[in-house]
Amino acid sequence: MTPPVAVAVERLSKVWPDGIKALDDVSLEVREGEFLAVLGLSGSGKSTLLRCINRLVDPTEGKISIFGRDVTGAEGADLRALRREVGMIFQQFNLVKRHTVRDNVLSGALGRTGTLRSLLLLFPEADRAEAQACLERVGMGDRGDSRADALSGGQQQRVAIARALMQRPKLILADEPVASLDPALRNSVMRHVEALNREEGITVICSLHDLDLMKRYATRAVALREGKLVAEGKPEEFDLPTLRSIYGEEAEFGFEAAS
Amino acid sequence: MRRAAPPPPGPGARLLALVVDAALLATFLLMGELLVRALVFPMQEGTLRTAQEILEKLHYAVLGGAGLLLALAWNGAAGLVGGTPGQAFAGALPQEPAERPWDRTLRGWFTLLFVELTFFTGWLVTEVDLGTFFTNFEKASGVLRGLLHPSGAVLFEGLILLAQTLFLAFMATAFSIPIAFVLSFAAARNLTRESTAAKVVYTALRTLMNLTRAVEPLVWALVFISWVGIGPFAGVLALWVHSVASLVKLYSESIESIDRGPMDAIKATGAGTLQVLRYGVVPQVIPPFLSFTIYRWDINVRMSTIIGFVGGGGIGYILKPRVDLGEWGEVGTLVLLIAVAVWVMDLVSARIRERIV
Repeated sequence: MTPPVAVAVERLSKVWPDGIKALDDVSLEVREGEFLAVLGLSGSGKSTLLRCINRLVDPTEGKISIFGRDVTGAEGADLRALRREVGMIFQQFNLVKRHTVRDNVLSGALGRTGTLRSLLLLFPEADRAEAQACLERVGMGDRGDSRADALSGGQQQRVAIARALMQRPKLILADEPVASLDPALRNSVMRHVEALNREEGITVICSLHDLDLMKRYATRAVALREGKLVAEGKPEEFDLPTLRSIYGEEAEFGFEAAS
Repeated sequence: MRRAAPPPPGPGARLLALVVDAALLATFLLMGELLVRALVFPMQEGTLRTAQEILEKLHYAVLGGAGLLLALAWNGAAGLVGGTPGQAFAGALPQEPAERPWDRTLRGWFTLLFVELTFFTGWLVTEVDLGTFFTNFEKASGVLRGLLHPSGAVLFEGLILLAQTLFLAFMATAFSIPIAFVLSFAAARNLTRESTAAKVVYTALRTLMNLTRAVEPLVWALVFISWVGIGPFAGVLALWVHSVASLVKLYSESIESIDRGPMDAIKATGAGTLQVLRYGVVPQVIPPFLSFTIYRWDINVRMSTIIGFVGGGGIGYILKPRVDLGEWGEVGTLVLLIAVAVWVMDLVSARIRERIV
């Protein structure tokens, strides 16, 4: 039995004001519990696709729904309620640098915290305990009082994962989560994303440009080229001709000799 | 991602270029007439005219019209003789096969001549008189002697009013912070892009603040003196108005230069607008805000020392009559007090700002 649809994207297009077409008629479906990798060159529209799903970017045309609820038409409180269920992890981590690690994680609870309380950073004790649990999950339990900008890149990204987890999300959008990290640290971050997917059943949509990471973590992958969806399948189905069609004829791949 | 070649200049840019050129060429011609008149006619008539007299005699309508005609001609012939200064200013230069060095363009030579002409015209208009400057030193020596021998008579009164001056500057700054803080968010372009209403508020606020800032604090002091009467409170209000306008500009510019990433991240959690500002914007702008506020306090200390000249309270209030009466010894004391206060404030403010940023 196939699990229910988590995210449905129908004929999505995005044209920027300067005329650049970032997404061109993209349709795809993600089932609950999937770990979907989104491949493509820089500028192929991966980031725009992810940002349309939680409406950090307003699509020009098309329709998106998550867990059966329409995203594209949502405004105000409805939109915020939808965003609350969608955690997001960014390439540049995007922590509030001058806040402590703990306050950064607590900001994941903003969607369910009263405005006045949150403006004064007065989170309830239960939220503080939950934030501590989230930090322990990513192996950062002892760094709650550090300022965010005192951490290394890998540590900052783990805090960002804890912040997303604090939202109690059903879906996580990860936009090149390890592209700014040292290759040696990439798996340490990806493993935490994988754990949320496997253990909590959180659906993950993750843009990546490292094919090894895609093969290791994703349950399925799609590829964008110049805003169009050009490939879709199981990770092992992405063979050399497919990859050439995504990245162009000049691209070189580390496993070429083996295949 | 390929970007198209820059679009050809629109009618707005071309009109702006023409207006700028007409103004430049008319000014050029008028400065020429002024030089000719000042250098040729006084010798014939044997009378030296004041700059104002010469300025009143210039042929504004004729030369203004001539400037416009020349501007039209140059803009029309830009393809032949090269682009005009106005086109360069408006970003509407015609496509040229290759970028030429400035001294190979008509525009470059015109600019050079224009600047030189402005210097000679300025010499006449401001009635520069080096002869008097170097021969009339005797008259000023009394003043200098007084300044160098400060009298102790006003030392105590001066110190007390100096304290009032510093408080005056402090209160003006303190009152301006909360108002400028709130307004600066509405005056930041990156926060007001999303709706038409926000854009209208942005433009209206920016314009109002620019106008407010364009009026000098001394003029604001006159306004508030007629409102709350002569005294330090009028000075506080005058500096307050000017500080709000200038802090809104400085604050909103630092909001415009924030990293958008944390804002997006907070927005993505489902946070509301105020929460996004509190978490995504405020932490990033606190250091520049503090720095600009201290810088503004520093400026306010400077301004508060002279705001008393027009009746705004503080040390300037007792300085003005002593200047008028020629009590140079007492003036010397007060000027020394002001200099020390401004100097100390300058050091303190620079040090604090260094530590923040």
